[in-house]
Amino acid sequence: MELQELRRKRKSSFWSKVLPFVPYVIQSGVAVLFLLLLLAFAAWYTNFLQHIPPGLPVLWIMLFLLGPMTVYSGFRTYVQPADIIFLLPREADMKSYLSPAYRSGVIYKLIGLYIILILVWPLYIRSDVDSKPLWLVMLLLLLLKLLSAYGSWQELRLTTARARMWYRLLRWSVILLMLAAWLWQPAWKSSIFTVLVGVNYILALRFPMKHAVPWDNLIAAEKTGAAKVMMWLGWFVEVPADGQKVIRRRWLSSVGNRMPWQRSTAYRFLITKTFIRSELLGIVARLTLLGMLLTGWNGASWLGIGLYLFFTFLIGAQLTSLHQIHADSPAAAFYPLPAGAHKAETIRLASRLLLVLAVLMWIPLTAASWEDNLTWVLLSLVLAIVLVWGLKATWVKKWKEEDE
Amino acid sequence: MSEIPVLQVEDLSGGYSVGRPVLHDIQFQVNKGEMVGLIGLNGAGKSTTMKHILGLMSPQRGAITVQGKKREEDAEAYQSSLAFVPESPLLYEELTVREHLEFAARAYNVAKEDYEERAARLLKLFNMEEKADSLSMHLSKGMKQKVMIMCAFVARPPLYIIDEPFLGLDPLGIRSLLDFMIEMRSQGSSILLSSHILSTIENYCDRFIVLHRGEVIAQGTLAEIAEQAKLPGAALEDIFYSLVKGGD
Repeated sequence: MELQELRRKRKSSFWSKVLPFVPYVIQSGVAVLFLLLLLAFAAWYTNFLQHIPPGLPVLWIMLFLLGPMTVYSGFRTYVQPADIIFLLPREADMKSYLSPAYRSGVIYKLIGLYIILILVWPLYIRSDVDSKPLWLVMLLLLLLKLLSAYGSWQELRLTTARARMWYRLLRWSVILLMLAAWLWQPAWKSSIFTVLVGVNYILALRFPMKHAVPWDNLIAAEKTGAAKVMMWLGWFVEVPADGQKVIRRRWLSSVGNRMPWQRSTAYRFLITKTFIRSELLGIVARLTLLGMLLTGWNGASWLGIGLYLFFTFLIGAQLTSLHQIHADSPAAAFYPLPAGAHKAETIRLASRLLLVLAVLMWIPLTAASWEDNLTWVLLSLVLAIVLVWGLKATWVKKWKEEDE
Repeated sequence: MSEIPVLQVEDLSGGYSVGRPVLHDIQFQVNKGEMVGLIGLNGAGKSTTMKHILGLMSPQRGAITVQGKKREEDAEAYQSSLAFVPESPLLYEELTVREHLEFAARAYNVAKEDYEERAARLLKLFNMEEKADSLSMHLSKGMKQKVMIMCAFVARPPLYIIDEPFLGLDPLGIRSLLDFMIEMRSQGSSILLSSHILSTIENYCDRFIVLHRGEVIAQGTLAEIAEQAKLPGAALEDIFYSLVKGGD
C-alpha cells in the first residue's frame, strides 16, 4: 500500500471513532453552557471595545494571547507501535507519509491563530498603541508559525530527551522574543532582529545528533495527540482516558506519601500519584492561574463574580475526567481494593481539590475588593462553595447511575 | 480431618461464549505449601483457567474456592488471599517501581514495617534498587515483569497464581524468582505456576497438571504423570510430548 494512502486510511479510521461522540457533545449540558458563555462574552467584549480603559496593556494582552498559540506545534502522524517492524524497511520513503502530517499540523493551528488574531484585532487598533497593518501581522504570524513547526519537528528528531527539552525552551524563547519585538519595536528594527535570531536558531538546530525518522518519539507523540482528543471528549461524554501523557514532576513526588497506611487508602494513593503526573494537573493549574488573574482584575463586580464561578465550574468540568482514569484498568481487577473505592476516592479527590482551588481563586478577588464590597466578596465564596457541593452531588448521582 | 486445599477447582467449565466452553470439567487442587505446574500447549486453556480463578471470568459450571471460600461469598477476602503475576506485565505508567510496591502493600493490608522490609529485600534480590524511583513506563519488558513479581511477593498472600513468569527475565532474575518461590513454599505459601520452560519447572514443582484442549489429561507428581504416559523415569518434556501427541 502507498504510504500516503496508509496515512489517509489511519486518519479516517481515527476520526470515525471520534465523530460518533460529537452529537453527544452537542447534546451535553456543558456544551450548551459553553455556548451561552460565548454569547455572554461576545456581548461583554463588544461593550468593552466601546469603552477601552486608558492605559490597558494591549501589547501584553496580544503577546499573552498570540504567543503560546504561535509557538505551540503538534503533529498527528497516526503512526503505530507496530510500524517499527513493518514500516522501518521503508524508512527512506517515509517523507511521503510524514509530509501531510507536517502540513496539516501547521494549517489547522494557523487557522486557530488567525481566529484569535481577528478577535483581538479590534482591541489592538482601537487602543492608543502604534499599530501595524493586519496583513503584516498575519504574514509575521505565518512565518513564526512555520519556524516554530520546523523547530518542533527537528526537536522530535533529536536523539536525547535532554536536548529535546533545551531546544524546546530555546524555541519558546526565540519565537516569543521575535513576536514581542514586532509588537513593541518599529518594523525595520524587528525585521533585522527576526532575520538574525531566526538564522541563528536554524543554525543551532543543525548541531545536535538526530534520527532520520524518530520512530519512538513519533509513536509517543501520536499516543499523546490521540489521548488529548479523547480527553477533550471526556469533558462532555464518557470515553476511556487511556494513553495520556505522563509527566514525571519530581518536585511533586512526595505528594501522597503521608496518607494513612491502610487498605482503604490504596486507591487514593494510586489516583493521587496519577493526578500529579497527569496533563490534567497542568490544565487545572493554568485555568486556576487565569481565573486568579481575571477575578483579581475585575474584583467583586458582577463580572468578577461571574468569572470566578465560571472558572470554578470549568475546573470542576475538567476534574470529571478523573473518573475515567483507571476505570478499565485490568490491574484494578486483581488488586483487592475495597468495593466502591474507585468512585468514592475519585469524588473525594475531585471535590476537595476543587474546593481548595475555589478558595485560591477567591483570594485575588478578596484582595481587590475587601474594603469596598465585603458583602459581594463573601457572597462569591458562598456561591462557589454551593457550586462545588452541587458538582459533587451531580458526580455522586451520575456515577452511581452508571454503576447500576 | 484433612486440611482444606488452598485452591480447589471443581468441575469447572467456562469460556468466552456460553455455547462454546473453552474449559471442560477442569478439576484440581493446590494444597498448602505446594508448588503446582500448569502446563499445556498454546491455547490449551491455562490463562483462561487462571482468569476464572482470579474472578476475571465467571464459570459456566463448577466452582472455585480459595481458602475454602468462593468469590461470591466475600470478594474482598477471596481477592486478598491470592496474588497474580500475568504473562504480560500490567503496570500503571504513572507510578514508580517503589510506588507500585507501596500500592500493592496497601491494597493487601500489609503492615508498613513489613512492607519496608520486604520491599528493600525484593528490590535487592531482583537487582532493581537503582530503578526503584523510575516510572514504570521507562522500564524494559523484563524489568516490568520483575515489578509484577515483586508486587505479588510484597503482598505474601496464601496463594500465588503465576502465568509464564520467566518471559523476558534475565538468567539472574529467573534464578532469583525460583529461589524466592522455594522460600515462599517453605513458609507455607502455595503456587500455581504456568510455564513452557518444562526443563526448569520439572525440578521445582511438586505436582503437574497437564491441560490439553481445555481438559485435564493428566495430573500428579512427575512419577505419577510419567506412569499415566507410560514413560516411567522420563523427563517432563518427553512425558508432556507423549501426552499431548496421544491426546490428538
